[in-house]
Amino acid sequence: MDKLPSGLANVVADEEDLARFLTSSSLFNAVTVKPAAFLPNRKNGETSVFRHDGETRESLWQTAEDHLPGVRLHGAVIFKATHVRAASLDVLAHEPPPRHANIVGWPTSQTDPEMEKAEQRECAALIAQHAELVRR
Amino acid sequence: MFESVSALAPQSGFGALYSRARARSAISSEAQSVQKAADSMVDSMERSQALFGEKASAISQIWMLANECAEAGWDGDDALPLNRLAVFKAIAFIRVLPEGVPLPEFAPEPDGSISLDWIQSRNRLFSLSVGTGNRLAYAWLDGTDKGHAVARFDEVTGVPLRVLEGINAIMNNGQASFRSR
Repeated sequence: MDKLPSGLANVVADEEDLARFLTSSSLFNAVTVKPAAFLPNRKNGETSVFRHDGETRESLWQTAEDHLPGVRLHGAVIFKATHVRAASLDVLAHEPPPRHANIVGWPTSQTDPEMEKAEQRECAALIAQHAELVRR
Repeated sequence: MFESVSALAPQSGFGALYSRARARSAISSEAQSVQKAADSMVDSMERSQALFGEKASAISQIWMLANECAEAGWDGDDALPLNRLAVFKAIAFIRVLPEGVPLPEFAPEPDGSISLDWIQSRNRLFSLSVGTGNRLAYAWLDGTDKGHAVARFDEVTGVPLRVLEGINAIMNNGQASFRSR
């Protein structure tokens, strides 16, 4: 299997843990992480995540500091690639930076942007229901 | 001691009305009628005050979120600042939510919209996006049931019935607890 510069496999396995950093305390509550935490970047239509499998919490926060300098970090949400795929999306490795990946395949609509958002929101909620919040 | 109906006249304000309503001292039929009316009015005002208080708090949260996400890149990526029109629309939505509907939580979205979320549990939630347009994108999870849709919203016609029903299904297990406009 091909290896990336980070040493990770080129293909993100279903059982791999992924981490997305939370830059607003409004993106979660005591019960769950909210769907908005997973919505895609408006420019590239993808959601940036880091492959977290086997990493310590300390290395997770170090990754955040390396790649989100100057941004106040409230925590991270950890979830498995299989839950992304169960929502009809995919996770593709995207280095550099090391361990970086993107959630891709978000629904799009050329004719109805609101319906596109509604469908994306459903996908995000499907991932969120399986996600674990890690407070910093 | 008997009190006349006109004894209320020199008094004014909610405090006087409240005192009258809660005094339980009326004896004459006229005074009893006034006391009953005052009771009813105080109850109504208290309900309105409670409602206004909750909505005022929700509106404050929207403003705080707008301040928190006022700069582009608040997500450490390419997120837009919360759009001012979206903020006003979210506030308008809260103002016209019918009595009895639980108030949502708020979250920022990368495109500058505001997310309104009614969360019962991890797999029972109703999530709605308020952006700059007059159409609202929303989705829900209800156990194994899920879905998404779009509804038109304006302040005059109020919150769309489909949205109210969706919120109700999640937050009250489908038991009716409010009236739509």
